[in-house]
Amino acid sequence: MGSPRSPAMVRWPALLEHSMWPLFRIALRNVARNRRRTLITLAALLVGVGAAVLTRAMMNGLQRAMVTNITTSATGALQVHRAGYLDNVLSTPLTMDFAIDEAFLARVRAVEGVKAVSPRIQFAGSLGANDESLFLAATAMDPTAESAVCPNRASTFTPGSRFDSPDGILLAETVANALGTQQGGEAVFLAPDRDGTLNGELVHVTGATRSVMPDEPKTAVVPLALAQRLLRMEGRATELAVAVHRLEEAPQVAARLREALGPDYEVHTWDDILVQVKENKARDDASMGLIAAVFLVLMLLGVANTLLMSAIERTREIGTMMAVGLRRGKVMGLFLAEAVVLGATGSTLGALLGAGLSAWLNHRGILFTAPTISVPFDIRPYVDVGYLVRIVLLATAGAAVFSLYPAWRASRLRPVEALAGR
Amino acid sequence: MKTCLKLLSLLVLLPLAASAATPSAEELLQKYDAIMAPLNFEATLTMVAHRDDGSTRAYKMRMLKAGDDKARVWFLEPAAARGQEILSQGDNAWLYMPNLKRSVRMASRDSFQGGDFNNADVLRTNYARDYSAQVVEDPSMPEAYLLELKAKTEDAGYDRIKLWVAKKDTLPLKGEFYTASGKMLRAAEFLEVKSFDGFRRPSRVVMKNMIAIKRFSELTVDSFDARVQPAAGRFVLDDLGR
Repeated sequence: MGSPRSPAMVRWPALLEHSMWPLFRIALRNVARNRRRTLITLAALLVGVGAAVLTRAMMNGLQRAMVTNITTSATGALQVHRAGYLDNVLSTPLTMDFAIDEAFLARVRAVEGVKAVSPRIQFAGSLGANDESLFLAATAMDPTAESAVCPNRASTFTPGSRFDSPDGILLAETVANALGTQQGGEAVFLAPDRDGTLNGELVHVTGATRSVMPDEPKTAVVPLALAQRLLRMEGRATELAVAVHRLEEAPQVAARLREALGPDYEVHTWDDILVQVKENKARDDASMGLIAAVFLVLMLLGVANTLLMSAIERTREIGTMMAVGLRRGKVMGLFLAEAVVLGATGSTLGALLGAGLSAWLNHRGILFTAPTISVPFDIRPYVDVGYLVRIVLLATAGAAVFSLYPAWRASRLRPVEALAGR
Repeated sequence: MKTCLKLLSLLVLLPLAASAATPSAEELLQKYDAIMAPLNFEATLTMVAHRDDGSTRAYKMRMLKAGDDKARVWFLEPAAARGQEILSQGDNAWLYMPNLKRSVRMASRDSFQGGDFNNADVLRTNYARDYSAQVVEDPSMPEAYLLELKAKTEDAGYDRIKLWVAKKDTLPLKGEFYTASGKMLRAAEFLEVKSFDGFRRPSRVVMKNMIAIKRFSELTVDSFDARVQPAAGRFVLDDLGR
C-alpha cells in the first residue's frame, strides 16, 4: 500500500469510519509531515509552557521561603491567646492574659505535632533615655524558649546584639536612632501595668533589631522576666508562640490544640496573624496567572498560524478528501485533532522541562539577600503535579480553540475549486 | 409705614448688636483657662479609669500649680502608684519613679496614668497660649459659644479642639478633641459645677475614648483652693522624690 513518504494519503478511507482514534492517528502523521514547521511550533510551546512552569515554581519557592522565614524568625507556626484577644489588640490586651505554669505548658507540648512553645507578652510603653522619651510596642520573650520556637529569631538582630542579660533590651534601629542610645546605654522603660498603673524598670540597651520594612513601627524586644516585673504579671503571658514539626500540618495541629485547650483559648495559624502575607500571596498568584495566560495566548497564536498555513497548503488534498466523500465535520475534526496533538505534545514537553529545571533549582537552592530583609531567603523552587496537569490541559484545550478558525476555513472549501487548487 | 421702618431698622441692627456682644475667642479662652486652671491652686483630684472589660481603677492625687506653666502632682493611691510624682515646667514634664529613684521625661500626648486623659489635659491647661481660636455659632447649642481651636505648637495636647462654653458664665460644657486629619480621639463633658470657697468650676470631667469606645475616665475635683502661694522650690527637678 503506497509509499512511506506520504502515509497520510493512503489512510483516508480510515477517516470514513466513526471511531475517533483514526482521526488522531492521521492527525499525528499530518503533524509529522512538515517537520521543520512542527518543530518550530513545538519549540514555542515548549519554551512558553516551560517558562510558565518555571516562574510558578520560583514563585512557590519564594512564597515558601518567605513563610518559613516569618514563622521561624517572628510568629511561630501557631499562636495561642485568650479567646477574643486578636479582636482586642487595639485596647488593653494585658488583661487577656493567662498563667503559664509548667502544667499548662506541658498540656500544650503534649499535643501531637507541637515541637516547642515560647510564652510571650505583647505590650506598649515608653522608653526614656537622654532626656527623650518614645512610645513603642514591645515583645517580651524568654531567650531559651524563643530560640526553640523561632530558631531564626537571632538573625533579626543586628550583628553584635545580645539577648541574654536579665535587663537587656533590643531596640529597632529607628528607635535607637531617635533616642540616640548606644549599646550598653541605660534607659527607663515605663508602661502601664496589668491594672493600668504606670510602672518603670531600668534597662540596658544590648542590641538592635533589624528593620524589615522602611517605615517600620517603633518596636523593642525585652526579656520575659523583666516585662513580667514591669507589668506586675509574674508567671503570666498574653501569647504562646508554638512551633510544629511540619509547617504544612499547622492547621491540623491548630485544630488539635483548640480541642486540648477548650473554648477559653483561641489558636491561630501564622497566616491568620499575618493577614497581609496571605493577601500578598493571593495577589502574587493572580499576577502569576496573568503572566502564564499571556505566555499561553502567544504560543497558541503560533499554533493557529501553523494550522492556517497547513490548511492553505493542503487545499488540493482537502478537495480530494472531500471528493471521496469526507464530510465537512470530519475535515474540521482533522484540523482540530492536529492542533490538539501539537498542543498536547508541546505543552507536555514544556511542563517536563519546567519541572526538571525546577527540580534542579530546588536541589541547588537560590540564596537571596537584600539589605532590606533580615533573614536571607533560601528559595527552593517547586511545582506540584496538579499545576503541571492543569497547564497541559489548558494548553491543549487552548490549541483546539485557537485552531477553530483554520479548521473552519478548511472545512468550508468547495471540493471542485479545491481540487483545482483555487 | 413708620412702624414698618422701625421694624426694618431693628431687623438690620439686631445682628450687629448681637455680634457686638460676642466676646473675642481669646477672651473666651482666657476665661476658660482661669476657670479650669487659675494661676495658682492646690487641689486633690480623683481619676477613675474605666476599661474595656468593665474594670475600673481609681487614682488619688494632690496637685499644685504655680504661675503660668508650672505644676506638680503627687500620687497618693493606689499603692502601686504611691510615691510617683510629676513635674511640669513649660513644655517639659517629668515623671518620677520611686522604685528607680529616677525621673523620666513625659510627652504631652501620652496617656495620664493609662487613662483616657493625656498628660496635657491634666497638667497643661493653658489653651490661650497653646491654641489659636475662633468663635462660631452652633445652631444645635444656642446657649453656648463654640470655640474652634488649632494648636500653635507640637507640645499642645491635641491638634484641634472644639470647645463649647456657656454664653452666660463661660463655664465649659463639652469638648471634642481631634487629630490634624480630623479624626475624633476623645470627647469630654464638664459636669457638676460646684463652688469651692466661692470659686465656681465644674467638679467632674468625663473623658470618653472615641478610639476604644468602651473606655472612659472621670476626673473629679475633691478639693480646690485657688488662694495658695506655692513655694518656687517645689517646681525644680531636684525636688522630685523629696
